[in-house]
Amino acid sequence: MSDYRILNTRAPRVDAWDKVTGKAQYTDDLKRPGMLYGAILHSPIGHGKILNIDTSRAENLPGVKAVITWKDVGTQPYGVSPARYDETIFCFDKVRYVGDEIAAVAAIDPDIAREAVNLIRVDFEPLPLVLDPLHAMDEGQSQLHEMYDHNICAKVNWNFGDIEEGRSEAAILRTDSLSSKMQDGAFMEPQSILAEVDGADNLTMWSSTQAPHYIQRTIAMALNHPLHKVRVIKPAVGGGFGPKASCSTAELAICMLALKTRRPVKFTFDREQVFLHGRARHQFHHTMTTGIHRDGTLAFLEHKCILDGGAYASFGIATVYYAGSLLGGPYRLKNMKYDGYRVVTNKPACGAQRGHGAVIARALFEVQLDRLAEELGMDPVELRLKNVMEAGETTCNELFVSSFGMKEALEAVRDSAAWKRKRGELGQTRANGTGIGAACGFFVSGAGYPIYRSKTYHATVVIKLEEVGGGVTVFSGAADIGQGSDTVLAMITAEELGVELNDIRVESGDSSRSVDLGAYSSRTTLMAGHACREAAQDVKRQILQAVATRLEIPPESLEIKAGKVISLTGEIDFSEIRREFLQEHKGFMDTPEGPELTFREASRIAFLELGSVVGTGKYKPPPLGGSFKGATVGTSPAFGCSAQIAEVKVDLETGEVSVERITGAHDCGFAINRTQVEGQMQGSMMMGMGEALMEQKIFDSEGRILNRNLAEYKIPTSLDMPHLESIIVESNEPNGPYGAKEVGEGAIMPVIPSILNAIYDATGVRIDELPVTPERIVEALQKKKLENEL
Amino acid sequence: MKKIISLTVNGKVVEVAVEPGRTLLELIRDDLNLPGTKLGCGLGDCGSCTVLMDGIPTFSCLTLAIQAEGCRIETVESLSQDGHLSKLQEKFIEKGAIQCGFCTPGMLMTSTELLRRNPGPDEHEIREAISGNLCRCTGYQKIVEAVQGHSEEGEK
Amino acid sequence: MALPKFDVLCPDSLDEACDMLESHASEGIKILAGGTDLLVNIKLPVIAPRAYVLESSTSQLVSTHSEELWKDHSGPLAPPSPAYLLSLHRLRNELERIEELPDGSLLVGALTTARTLQMSELVRLKWAALAEGADALGSPLVRARGTLGGNICNARPAADLFVPSVALGAKLGVVSIHGYEVIDASEFALAPGKTRLQSGQILVEIVYPASPPGTGSAYYKLAQRKALDISVVGAGVRLTIDSLLKITSVSLALGAVGPTPIVAKTVIDVLLGKKLDDSTLKLAATAAASDATPIDDHRGSALYRKQMIEVLTRKILTTAYLRARRSL
Repeated sequence: MSDYRILNTRAPRVDAWDKVTGKAQYTDDLKRPGMLYGAILHSPIGHGKILNIDTSRAENLPGVKAVITWKDVGTQPYGVSPARYDETIFCFDKVRYVGDEIAAVAAIDPDIAREAVNLIRVDFEPLPLVLDPLHAMDEGQSQLHEMYDHNICAKVNWNFGDIEEGRSEAAILRTDSLSSKMQDGAFMEPQSILAEVDGADNLTMWSSTQAPHYIQRTIAMALNHPLHKVRVIKPAVGGGFGPKASCSTAELAICMLALKTRRPVKFTFDREQVFLHGRARHQFHHTMTTGIHRDGTLAFLEHKCILDGGAYASFGIATVYYAGSLLGGPYRLKNMKYDGYRVVTNKPACGAQRGHGAVIARALFEVQLDRLAEELGMDPVELRLKNVMEAGETTCNELFVSSFGMKEALEAVRDSAAWKRKRGELGQTRANGTGIGAACGFFVSGAGYPIYRSKTYHATVVIKLEEVGGGVTVFSGAADIGQGSDTVLAMITAEELGVELNDIRVESGDSSRSVDLGAYSSRTTLMAGHACREAAQDVKRQILQAVATRLEIPPESLEIKAGKVISLTGEIDFSEIRREFLQEHKGFMDTPEGPELTFREASRIAFLELGSVVGTGKYKPPPLGGSFKGATVGTSPAFGCSAQIAEVKVDLETGEVSVERITGAHDCGFAINRTQVEGQMQGSMMMGMGEALMEQKIFDSEGRILNRNLAEYKIPTSLDMPHLESIIVESNEPNGPYGAKEVGEGAIMPVIPSILNAIYDATGVRIDELPVTPERIVEALQKKKLENEL
Repeated sequence: MKKIISLTVNGKVVEVAVEPGRTLLELIRDDLNLPGTKLGCGLGDCGSCTVLMDGIPTFSCLTLAIQAEGCRIETVESLSQDGHLSKLQEKFIEKGAIQCGFCTPGMLMTSTELLRRNPGPDEHEIREAISGNLCRCTGYQKIVEAVQGHSEEGEK
Repeated sequence: MALPKFDVLCPDSLDEACDMLESHASEGIKILAGGTDLLVNIKLPVIAPRAYVLESSTSQLVSTHSEELWKDHSGPLAPPSPAYLLSLHRLRNELERIEELPDGSLLVGALTTARTLQMSELVRLKWAALAEGADALGSPLVRARGTLGGNICNARPAADLFVPSVALGAKLGVVSIHGYEVIDASEFALAPGKTRLQSGQILVEIVYPASPPGTGSAYYKLAQRKALDISVVGAGVRLTIDSLLKITSVSLALGAVGPTPIVAKTVIDVLLGKKLDDSTLKLAATAAASDATPIDDHRGSALYRKQMIEVLTRKILTTAYLRARRSL
């Protein structure tokens, strides 16, 4: 057990009370006096030139206060990566996917706003659609953007080590492929936006976002509004998982409507619009050739991937890099070649989603490891154990792992799930409908660099003591989107200051509170955690200094423990301070007692000595990574790793898969909050399982999503999910606060491949297209039967 | 044309004029100012809008306010009394059944009804009962544990 | 997805309901029971089901949807926006009931919810296919609102209460101002969403034939997830055996493999007078598959569906036969 009082416990979430009573305020719960309601006009076709936009009938509808198109907002390009600013707030020359935004309306009620949108007439000249990512690069295909020759939005050609040498040395090599489908974040809270402007042109936007900082910058840039006059506030957010990390047209349009009408404007996505907007997981087509030595050590990996990115770049540049870079770990792999192509097609833009870029690549590589193990006659867990990296090693693509509990995690799941008993005795694939499969994963703990080129701190935190004494407020820009970062900040502050969690208030998710790049790339605990610790220590130093000054003793002789200031050098007489405090509080009934000085008294003394006491903390990673093109993507101050074992039952007649149990272990360095670490692991298991077995956006031949609702975009229900066993591994990360690193995204890495490997064990067939639907299993089983008969 | 309906919401009789197409959810959130009940999909798929209608878990987004006339509605706001959380709410906090919290009100209402009808549900019964309430954060594990934890200790 | 504008009528009696249906028939009126299907179906999507090709232009132009354009077009482009919904919620006392009639048949009121069916021990004991259909329908929240009458009248080929009702040989009692009429469940649906129900008629009760000793039934739904899903294929069966364990009557219905729930007629000849052994099972499965006309859609291919009919037929026949033996 740790020496900490609050850290490493199962402390309740600081927002839990609000959330169980229905008092937590999400953006759509907010109301402002005189508020208008927004609506957005989306393109009904996938690709076409805009010939004419007629808004006159909408403008004349009673109750409509503003109608805006590109003519009102201009055509300033924006996007996520400065090198790929390929979006404009509204389409002006052409539309590129079903759902592309053309106009927006503000009206006195939502029905009128919707009606007005339907009165806008847009004439298009349809253009040929590009829907198949595998042919998007072909000659003669329609071009989506002038800036993307052959519809290639980004490409990566990496060569680490010597792939040919690896090939010549390998005893066994095999080539496999795996493709996936576009995903949806399927967070429960649809995006919602409320914007308001005051008399000094200060624009405040409340939004269901993961990254107030980037959104603030994008709004200022795209709307040409002074950056310091844009404030983005994130109320309670009902999940994000990636798609809420980029600025949306809706956010920009609603701000513009507020500026134009000078009234508050609110807009909440319909669930259908969540699907239309997308920005979730790309569609991946991976092909890998992996070579292995006779003893089971890896020789090389040659990897090619085509990513369907939809109509715009969004986070896609990072995605195509991540798809290659994160295969550098968690195994020792000297030689790796990667060719990645992100193409644009006439579908909703894809962006980041939990396990950004790396999930399907990981799935195929882990499947390959199992297949190679089978050919070698080796236990797949043993094969992995033979190759796992250890702390202090650097991958072939120059990622340094400073802590690494990969081996511990893998052994933990192996033992907890009784792998050897369940799998070992039965030997090779059973194909009797019962299967067990293992896999590992590897992920960044915060991106090493910001999205725009800058020397900015990634996170700063300001902690202020209540002048009256006793209370502590943490100001942070960090975005708690449900993962629990507010609780992490409160726990760190309480631990450092020696006070109770209840004494800490967290004001976060607000661009005016501090800088924080946002909840993405699994970074908040490490980065904001560092900044918070530093700020708390700053405050503590000031308190102890003030008390020490009063007592005329050295501050080093004092410490705060469990809400009391104690002396490290024998008893000290606090009675003078106590007397002064009591004098100030005549008539108060809760005055301090006992021989020790309370935090409340000490912090009041600090105010009397110093005025308002404020502590600050900051964090940015040191320069990381290699010097090759794209070397920044994949860098991180720390890397998380995880292992998982899935057990499945497959009905060999219908192909129905039932996941019976998942056992996962994740190395989070150090669990600030054990319950929340498990929660992240379990949520990852669910999202990975959905992607493995049922989740996919299905498009028709016109580029429309057929299943744009939660009835037919299927995420697992409570009945689909098995019992989830989550094991926390703590490797004490030297670059993390208290040894902590990520869990939010890394935990999804092994989920899909462990299920795929278990299904193979259960059926004897491999499916190379996700999701693994019952139909695909039946088809594969029949094909195999036919082959056996021939 | 608006119709006047009368119903009981969290123990209070409410008489209100509603448009025929007004949903029970809109009535609760917008007219009665009880925003704890959430709109997640509007199609009865996600369960975020679950309230109890005459004691039965009901998606308020697909129920017209008019259909609720004369009914007894309970929302998440009714679960805590005088600032005291119900045992189930406490268990949700203790077990970590909450992450983003958007499904939580619906989850609580569905589980509350389950526990009224079956005070000692087993894991499968809990999973069955909440299978119409989607949660994207928790993998359901800690929600199941919270409901189980409640039934093991009983209502205080 | 927002609801269109409509008015809601709330009759206090069945007679009043019939009058209202009749008097508003020409303006467009739909019957609202639980609303789990109807309210979803009439919601207006953000993106119209089809973009509008304006034929008048010389070049091929496409325009955004607007209510005007919607109104200009008839047929499949027009959203089903009824002027009136006839809500039956005040008729619950009359139309929500489960009752075993003196002749052993089962009467279920049209407003009985799937949840109530699930909880009825009587239904589970003697009309298991219906209870299992209720188990399979949507989610607990859908089952709490969705009614037997609504599920049948909505006439989706995959409907989880309709398919077992067809298998169980249900008779549908329908009223209008012109009187009472009985329609066979197996003949009720004409096409997806289309039934024999005439304008002015309301389905009020569903009667399931008695379940004498030696009778068993079962329903199985194949879907991608374990709750909240639409069947890829559904199959229900009811059979009766004699003391020699030979099948004396059988009725098998298939869901999601044709435009309506399908009665697998050729199965009857295969099974009548037989004991259920492996070879009979196999023949019956093949026969059932030959009766279906599935299509390819995003939920499954026609080929997979055909194959699954065979699998499901074997599963439900085995279960129903076992139940029949137990009830002898």
